[in-house]
Amino acid sequence: MSGKASSSSQPSIGLSGSGALSHIYIQYPPLRCSIPESRGLHYDDGTKLLIPSTSNQFVLFTQQIFSWKTVPFNPLATSTSDSIPEGPILSIRFSLDTKLIAIQRSSSEIQFWIRETSEAFSHRCRSDSENILGFFWTDCPLCDFVVVKNSGLDLFAYDSVAKSLDLVEMRKLNVCWYVYTHESRLVLLASGMQCRTFTGFQLSSAGIVRLPKFDMAMAKPEANSKPVLAAEDVYIVTVYGRIYCLQVDRVAMLLHSYRFYRDAVVQQGSLPIYSRKIAVSVVDNVLLVHQIDAKVVILYDIFADSRAPISAPLPLQSRGFPRSYSSSSRSSGKDGECSEVNNKIDHEGIIYGDNWTFIVPDLICDAIAASSSETPSVLEFLQRRKLEAIKAKQLCLGIARTVILERRPVSMVSKAIDVLVSSYSLSLKTGSYFKGIKTESTSSGVAKTSVARSSTDVSTSRIDGTSIRHESTAGVDSEYPSRASTFSASESEENASSAPLRTDSRDLQLGGGKVDRVNLTGAHSSGPTDNPVFVNISEQQDSELTSPAISPDEMYKFVFAAVEEEMVGDPSYLVSIIVEFLCSTNMEKIKVHPNLYVLAIQLLARNERYAELESFVTNKILEPSKEVALQLLESGRQNIQTRKLGLEMLRQLSLHHDYVSLLVQDGRYNEALRYARKYQVTTVRPALFLQAACSSNNSQHLAAVLRFFSDFIPDFRTTSDFTTYYGILNEMNTSVAATSF
Amino acid sequence: MVMVVEKGKDSDAIWRIDALRKVLKEVHSLFVMFYGSIRAMLEKDPSGGLIRSHLYPFIMDYLSDFPVGKKLQLPSFRDCLKERGTVQMLTMGREAAIEVQSLVSVLDSCAGNSSCYSMILFHDLLVSTTLSPDDTINLFTYAVLRLSPNALSSGVNSWSYIRRGSTSSHFVSGSALTHSGPVSEQIYHSSDTSPVGNNINRVTRALQHGKWYKGKDGFLVTDIWGVDVGSLVCATPTVWLQQTEEAMYLCPYQFKSLTLILLIPVSSILNGEQGVALVKQQLLENASLKILKVEEKLSKGWGGENAYHVSGYRYLLVDGDRNISRASPPGKVTTLAKESLLALSKLRDEVDLEKSRAKRDNAGCEKDLEVSIRAKNNAWAIARITGGKELYMVLEKASETLLYASDAVEKFSNRYCNGAFSLD
Repeated sequence: MSGKASSSSQPSIGLSGSGALSHIYIQYPPLRCSIPESRGLHYDDGTKLLIPSTSNQFVLFTQQIFSWKTVPFNPLATSTSDSIPEGPILSIRFSLDTKLIAIQRSSSEIQFWIRETSEAFSHRCRSDSENILGFFWTDCPLCDFVVVKNSGLDLFAYDSVAKSLDLVEMRKLNVCWYVYTHESRLVLLASGMQCRTFTGFQLSSAGIVRLPKFDMAMAKPEANSKPVLAAEDVYIVTVYGRIYCLQVDRVAMLLHSYRFYRDAVVQQGSLPIYSRKIAVSVVDNVLLVHQIDAKVVILYDIFADSRAPISAPLPLQSRGFPRSYSSSSRSSGKDGECSEVNNKIDHEGIIYGDNWTFIVPDLICDAIAASSSETPSVLEFLQRRKLEAIKAKQLCLGIARTVILERRPVSMVSKAIDVLVSSYSLSLKTGSYFKGIKTESTSSGVAKTSVARSSTDVSTSRIDGTSIRHESTAGVDSEYPSRASTFSASESEENASSAPLRTDSRDLQLGGGKVDRVNLTGAHSSGPTDNPVFVNISEQQDSELTSPAISPDEMYKFVFAAVEEEMVGDPSYLVSIIVEFLCSTNMEKIKVHPNLYVLAIQLLARNERYAELESFVTNKILEPSKEVALQLLESGRQNIQTRKLGLEMLRQLSLHHDYVSLLVQDGRYNEALRYARKYQVTTVRPALFLQAACSSNNSQHLAAVLRFFSDFIPDFRTTSDFTTYYGILNEMNTSVAATSF
Repeated sequence: MVMVVEKGKDSDAIWRIDALRKVLKEVHSLFVMFYGSIRAMLEKDPSGGLIRSHLYPFIMDYLSDFPVGKKLQLPSFRDCLKERGTVQMLTMGREAAIEVQSLVSVLDSCAGNSSCYSMILFHDLLVSTTLSPDDTINLFTYAVLRLSPNALSSGVNSWSYIRRGSTSSHFVSGSALTHSGPVSEQIYHSSDTSPVGNNINRVTRALQHGKWYKGKDGFLVTDIWGVDVGSLVCATPTVWLQQTEEAMYLCPYQFKSLTLILLIPVSSILNGEQGVALVKQQLLENASLKILKVEEKLSKGWGGENAYHVSGYRYLLVDGDRNISRASPPGKVTTLAKESLLALSKLRDEVDLEKSRAKRDNAGCEKDLEVSIRAKNNAWAIARITGGKELYMVLEKASETLLYASDAVEKFSNRYCNGAFSLD
């Protein structure tokens, strides 16, 4: 047994009782697995498989799509097992299509196992001086398999016919150690005396990008002493589709960050650290810095250029298991064996601001609303959340309502609206708004074998971000830039028979994903080049709602209409807000719900701002539609000019029937007749015209209208309308005659 | 008020009565805007000395905009494609309109809780207003006469028809000023010596020429209203709103071709000039960016002085309900033959008569009307009225048929008036 593990029941940290004092939760209950005689635990971030090995077989656990809503998730993940030849397993990785298994047997040999045929072949280093530091599978078009050696990189293509590896390319350079994550497809090779000179390659589906060589900053403790950078101190993280490298400077107690661009590596600034030991992980694009000694987690949102944490440091907690804290100690897997499978970290309670400590989501809303001097940035932050889209969305709507009801300055509300609208526009472009397809629990296509689930429970609980251990296969998993979590898996010798193995239920999407490139970088690239290295990931996101973006319809329904009901006093404030909203939507070329225009008309009319209403309509700030026209007619009861605008709009929209009916209603039946003839409007009943003409008490008019219909409608003379009004006309004429004589 | 016009032998002295009436109405409205109602002044000083001392310089200043050469040139038949007492609007796209509206809400709220009014002009065209229609016309007229960039640069190449053509405005800046100056100076002195004049320290000549300057901060200032004794800054002018009968501070601000006029209720500002300065500062802080943006948007869409010229047509479009008019640029109208203009002027006289008759007969019901007449030079003079909108047109294609003329109107109506005059 190699991995050292700590149990899930570490002594709790100072904070007793309340389960609501943390921003970060570990999902509880964990995934448990029990395999007899387990010897080692590996995590493969390429395929997201947790691989414990036994003496003669190893079992792999396919992870299921994790959905935080369905807490508690199903801890009973199915597993499959493969039998491979006996031998030491230094490291193990499945090919991305899971057809092959690569097993490092020694520092110079990698064995390949073809699962379908149970065949094996081996790859050895050419010279004895070469040492294999590690390997990984890639979806790069040039090669399938990369071996990192102390003398450089070897890129191989797998020949499925010959069942062998063909060397495609060699990159010669001295390598002390390396860091790779499948999420970023980035491999960083350390070299030099202090191991602080780095060469990077990105092996993405778009090809191989060689990053410029760069040095990491390291403070000297004293003259002449030169600290050596260790692999444990370097993390590759992916946030909002951007790739960063975080480096711990133990002397300066700083966490330096570097952002990768295609042709440059730019230092972005440094975060202070408060612990000798730290770990880094990313959950839903929020950077978690685990201060292990202090047993707290500090959250940063790198997107906002602020270096200030977005929350107070608080410990990690296990959800649904409030009294027991998972320890944040890292496993001491010195031998490079697989280590920690961390539990799913849920970011339920990310709160913005320094003084907020509540994590119950419903309270966040109040907290935010109560101190929203920075509402736009709060919204911005929430809009970038993907993991809990629904919650974030509801929070955003709530905030929007509150700022309007509180009559915050228009400029501030306008900024907030801008944030929401541009986020929606972005989600339209990336397609995430309409994504409602669920891709539930994809099994990896691996044959499922039952796992004995009895005697031994392998414990792998934990949290800390040590997951980004280069030699181990643990790492930031999460293929999506948006949903990352740390895994830590370890087994505990003493708990070998009882401690649970936990893992997170995650979706496993092998090859079935489709393109959803999250590309937030475009608008914000702040580097010297506009050519940042993207995470080239094509995967589909799960869950019915993947984006907290709010459509204009929803803005109308849940913000404007809702607010209008509650609002008291001068409605002109709300009109200003609507104008700001239109401004934003117009910028983003997004259509607006006609009901919003209707609301604007009602508000303006309520204030008797008819002249302005007119300019709103003539300048098409309120885009013409039947709804708008009808509201103008309605509001026009008090103001004839407004009514005219409504009529005019009907005419311009070619709503002939409505237009003619209204003309008749206004007593303009002559005009109505002319119009009806011109546009062949036959749907308005002649009786209406006749009645109007009749009430004018002008026999000539009545006669003219009768005559018109006799010509216009073929058998009008046979209808009852004709006879009725013909009779009236005759009466009129005789009475006129009578009075004149 | 009565206006007596001497009819000379000059052939140019052929007037349209309604146009003259509008001149009288305009000068009256402007006067009331600056000094309040004449009746109130008369009640204050029944002998009429007070009102006279105000009216005389005011009317003289007003008329100084009319002379051509050494003569007063009142609106004649040559001006039959213009409509005094209306506002000319800028046509803008939706995007610009939304930006403008956004700016307006900042302007109207920049004095805190008290509601301000605002008006925005671009060149000599109205962009937006939150004033009542009557107040809009008055302030617009004043702005074009004295505040717009063209007015400030003293009418070099003025094209707005409210001010005269380039020749006359040149005159205005030069000789008219020197001519009208001494006149009112005499008035001023005489009123000073007269028994009633003693209690008036100063008569503000609101329409005095060349008295507005652009300050460093972009606000326009004038010393017409005197200088504040305490702070030695120019006193902010005040105007009376017709609708609310409220006194307002008049604060014009100019950025390039954009003129913003902010009206702040006098009652809302307690510490006089200091308070006004504060609001101005507020405006600069809150609206500067938006002003920049609006100016940029409008400049981009600006079609120039002849933007509303439609080739082949000489027209006047009046929306009587909204007091808006649009016409062929004056420069284009001058290309018309005298006979054509005379014919249209005559036609308009008839239409005016018909309109007033219809108004008298049955108020509320709008009369539709279509008249096309053939002038001596074979040009068509056309008038169409429908739904409160009026279209006057001169078509000078000789020897064309009535059908042609009618088609031309139809085309114009469909393209430029949303089909408002397309009868059938």
